[in-house]
Amino acid sequence: MKILVTVKRVPDPEQKIKLKDDRIDLSAANWQLNQFDEYAVEAALRLTEDARNPATRLGEVTVVSLGPAEVQQQLRAALAMGADKAVRVDSRDEDLDADIVARTVEKLVRRDSPDLVLMGKLAADNEGNEVGQRLAGYLGWPQATFASIIEVVEGGKALLVGREVDAGVEMKKVRLPAVVTVDLRIVAPQAIKNGRTPPDHAYPEGPRYASLKGIMAAKKKPIEELTLAQLAIQPTLRVRTVSVRLPPPRKAGIKVSSVQELVDKLHNEAKVI
Amino acid sequence: MAHAQNRYLADLRDVHFLLFEQFRLGELLADPVFGGMDEATARMIVAESYDFARQVLGPLNEVGDREGCRLEGGAVRTPSGFRDAWQKLYEAGWKTLRVSPDHGGQGAPALLTVMVEEFLSGANTAFNMYPGLALGAAEVIAEYGTPEQKRAYLEPMYHGTFGGTMCLTEPHAGSDVGAARTRAEPRPDGTFLISGTKSFISGGDHDLAQNIVHLVLARVDGSPPGTKGLSLFIVPKLRLDGTPNDVVVAGLEHKMGIHGSATCLLNFGENGGCIGELLGGPPGLNQGIRQMFQLMNSARISVGIQGLAVASSAYLNALRYARERKQGPSIRHFKDPTAPRVPILQHADVRRMLLDMKARVEGIRALVAKLARHMDLARLSQGKDDQAHAYHLGQVELLTPIVKAYGSDQGFRVCEMAIQTLGGAGYIRDYGIEQYCRDAKIFSIYEGTNHIQAMDLVGRKLGLAGGAHLQRFLGDIGSFTRAQAGHPVLGPSVAVLGRAAEAVASTTLRLLDWFQGGRLEQVPLVANRFLEMMGETAVGWLLLEQASLALARLQELPPTHPDRSFYEGKRYAAVYFAQNVLPGVEDKARVLASEDRSALDIPDAAFAQV
Ligand SMILES: Cc1cc2nc3c(=O)[nH]c(=O)nc-3n(C[C@H](O)[C@H](O)[C@H](O)COP(=O)(O)OP(=O)(O)OC[C@H]3O[C@@H](n4cnc5c(N)ncnc54)[C@H](O)[C@@H]3O)c2cc1C
Repeated sequence: MKILVTVKRVPDPEQKIKLKDDRIDLSAANWQLNQFDEYAVEAALRLTEDARNPATRLGEVTVVSLGPAEVQQQLRAALAMGADKAVRVDSRDEDLDADIVARTVEKLVRRDSPDLVLMGKLAADNEGNEVGQRLAGYLGWPQATFASIIEVVEGGKALLVGREVDAGVEMKKVRLPAVVTVDLRIVAPQAIKNGRTPPDHAYPEGPRYASLKGIMAAKKKPIEELTLAQLAIQPTLRVRTVSVRLPPPRKAGIKVSSVQELVDKLHNEAKVI
Repeated sequence: MAHAQNRYLADLRDVHFLLFEQFRLGELLADPVFGGMDEATARMIVAESYDFARQVLGPLNEVGDREGCRLEGGAVRTPSGFRDAWQKLYEAGWKTLRVSPDHGGQGAPALLTVMVEEFLSGANTAFNMYPGLALGAAEVIAEYGTPEQKRAYLEPMYHGTFGGTMCLTEPHAGSDVGAARTRAEPRPDGTFLISGTKSFISGGDHDLAQNIVHLVLARVDGSPPGTKGLSLFIVPKLRLDGTPNDVVVAGLEHKMGIHGSATCLLNFGENGGCIGELLGGPPGLNQGIRQMFQLMNSARISVGIQGLAVASSAYLNALRYARERKQGPSIRHFKDPTAPRVPILQHADVRRMLLDMKARVEGIRALVAKLARHMDLARLSQGKDDQAHAYHLGQVELLTPIVKAYGSDQGFRVCEMAIQTLGGAGYIRDYGIEQYCRDAKIFSIYEGTNHIQAMDLVGRKLGLAGGAHLQRFLGDIGSFTRAQAGHPVLGPSVAVLGRAAEAVASTTLRLLDWFQGGRLEQVPLVANRFLEMMGETAVGWLLLEQASLALARLQELPPTHPDRSFYEGKRYAAVYFAQNVLPGVEDKARVLASEDRSALDIPDAAFAQV
């Protein structure tokens, strides 16, 4: 199976947000791989290996990112986990919106014809949760979002995808090629069944760590460099950030003396009950 | 299971500064000996190993402390999660970073390896002792073993299938290793029957690996007494055919810290069935101490790193707390009860403690890096440039006891100061700092107490090669102070460094005088203090070197560049240390020159009648 995985670098979500001139000041950001994208890479690797012998690849995983030269670092990290090759489309974060990203990935998909596009369900920076859906639309492919289970069925022609929905897990079958975006539980020990790894195999919880060997091997894996122009992408933003503001600081709490007073205040002041 | 939360923090910016600015890893990597690694890869190794330390080892630090190890049915059970972490560690390969590519390692420079070791030790000191000892023991076999011994043991020990230990200490033979009584009786097939008791053996038993390879110091019947008659034996817990080798865990110590590390009392050959092989075969007879030194030198550096690692995280945790905790008004408004409460970071004494910790931590990290770079350069110059080789090896010899003793001593003190910085929150368990402090105390004791290190420094290292190592060390400082004497910002601090180096030089002459003038007994009285003088001088020097690099960088950087505050920190740390700590070196020299003998002269009975 040929899988294309999109990855994005995001500022470390643990870092405090600083604003400058109505923008988020990213000059001192610690960039890292978006967590859900890391899960997508892990899922792609699990789909393309036999866990009993992970060194032998049973498919091909290409990681793609749009971003400045420094994104190489995140791409190398994904290659060190085990992805086979990478593509970087040169761009500045502020020149992108979800639509440009989706159309760029569409071009790459049409060029390389993967069987599956795996993506994180959202990026932790602005939590947009759009690119996967837009991409599927542009491609005219079936999509399954928020996947927490993926099972290869029908001899590799389709996927059975468990989707995290409010009421539980909804099982859907999508024919390949398809776009799947993944949720947190996709990296649970038995979330993925690829037909090769024994079904009772339990992976360690979470995405794999880049091993020392993986890091050394990543150095030799190819990273293709492209520009938006080479892919004939019109870089017109549909969504512009006008300004960013921090939420107002929370007011101090108050002590109430009785349950009655609490109910009263919730009803009359907070108007929540 | 207790809390599984990571508290480990390291300052990667400082690590990058050491690797890529002060000690120029790139120059080393250019040599093909290091297997074609490049700077980008080294950066990734730093990032990924730090991540691993924080995510896999860090959360188990408190778990290990609370649960400790248990002895059940004669076998040690390590705390929850340790087995899983062991497996992940070897899958990730972090313990093979410096292992030769011939054995599936990376052959990376020591300079890079010490940084990764700092992460592993800092995130979970107790855990990291198990794989650390396995690696150390394997390296001794790699150096001195016969081809068969290497074939049998190296791969499994490098890659986590077997653990390893070093068994020197016996109940009556601690610092005095030569008093060891463990016996080795030759058997007709060339192997030996081992019998005796070893105490305080770290990782003496555990459930992390299939087998444990003990390196046991023992005396072959008929060998001379003292250290000269000791040989080193390979004694596996299970023989290679899988049968038990009569190594019995007779007890497990309950201790102040590193609860996750099993400290075992081991009985070898209780039932007459413990078989050991002489390391290196027959030529290894009575070579045990020399062979063990190989392990001890790298283990001593590792202990210095343990001190640094824990101290560094204690400092950074204290810093975080000090930014958040509000208490009292600024002293400028001390009379105004309505003045806003400020974070304790705004109080002068808290700032003093934080800067003190920062300077010590970053200075010792630089000292470790410098030692590692000398190791790498010694390796690169071997067989190519004898003079350079001798110089670098000499500095390794000289700096090893300093890194061990100064690093471990200061490590503990920084942890103590971190507790003080937090106040009551530092003393209770919730913030993890008190564990750092308890864990750190052992570092000044094992691998040769810090006094043994100090005696190694003054009694052996100063005199090696006719005193050349110290002369070169002081010469290097001299070149720096001459070059930087007129520095517009650092000049006055450089002058203090110059005086400290002179104080070290003159004290050395005084010690020599004592040695030669029959006043030997006075030497141990001041040895620890002398080692501290050298540690402080070295740290002061390296901090000032950092500051001069940093100030040069600041001139190039635009006023809003985010890196500016890092470089500014370097300047303040160096000046603080030079002005507040380095004068103590001259002071100590003066104290030492007074030749006070009170501690020698006081009658035993006069201490107290108890
Ligand atoms: C947690 C832990 C783990 C350990 N792990 C190991 C291990 O894995 N393998 C191993 O072999 N050992 C291990 N040890 C033993 C450790 O190395 C010894 O405790 C240490 O060498 C000191 O020996 P001792 O405890 O017998 O103290 P002693 O030697 O009795 O020393 C007591 C005091 O006397 C001083 N002293 C002793 N002799 C002299 C002298 N000649 N001149 C001046 N002062 C002297 C010492 O500096 C110290 O202050 C471990 C110990 C502990 C507590």
